Amino acid sequence: MSVVNNGTPAGRRYVIRTFAFMVPYVLICLSMTMTDAFDQIIGKPAGWGLAAVVSAPVIGQLWATLSLMRESDEFVRAVVAKQFIIAAGLAMAAATFWGFAENFAAAPHLPGWLIYAAFWGAFGCISPFIRASN
Amino acid sequence: MKNRLKLLRVERDWTQEQLGQALGVSRQAVNALETEKHDPSLDLAYRIAVLFDRPVEDIFENPHA
Repeated sequence: MSVVNNGTPAGRRYVIRTFAFMVPYVLICLSMTMTDAFDQIIGKPAGWGLAAVVSAPVIGQLWATLSLMRESDEFVRAVVAKQFIIAAGLAMAAATFWGFAENFAAAPHLPGWLIYAAFWGAFGCISPFIRASN
Repeated sequence: MKNRLKLLRVERDWTQEQLGQALGVSRQAVNALETEKHDPSLDLAYRIAVLFDRPVEDIFENPHA
């Protein structure tokens, strides 16, 4: 059982909130990339609205994480903070590396929104190894 | 931080879950304390001391002494 999904009421609320924010995010991302549902608004002002809508769950997820930390005990709070800081650092490092690689090494362009997936990928990889607060 | 938490808990025949409930923390937190993966805050250390009716120094080894 992970530190986050630890069977406590706070952990259960976090899992529910995560699904509530991530399911719409994934559905919108999939429909943007795999269908032509939003093609007619690309390049129009409504496109900004769509970008804001699809980004809103990221803010929601931040709130869910801060809520988990507020509602949990000091150990869970410390470990979650450590996991998030390391995952965010790795995702930022990867994005920075790739950005410069695009500039200096002619690397193919990757969309900026992939940093969110990179963050969760890093979070999933490092979480099993970060089980101590000290 | 080295401590006698597991010994005190087992003496009372409590599970980690039961001790966590008595302290208001998760079972994971109790496990982390017992395995020295978490140094308790002063507040939690005092709560543990009150629960076992012992001075903090009897439960947690002072690393600076």
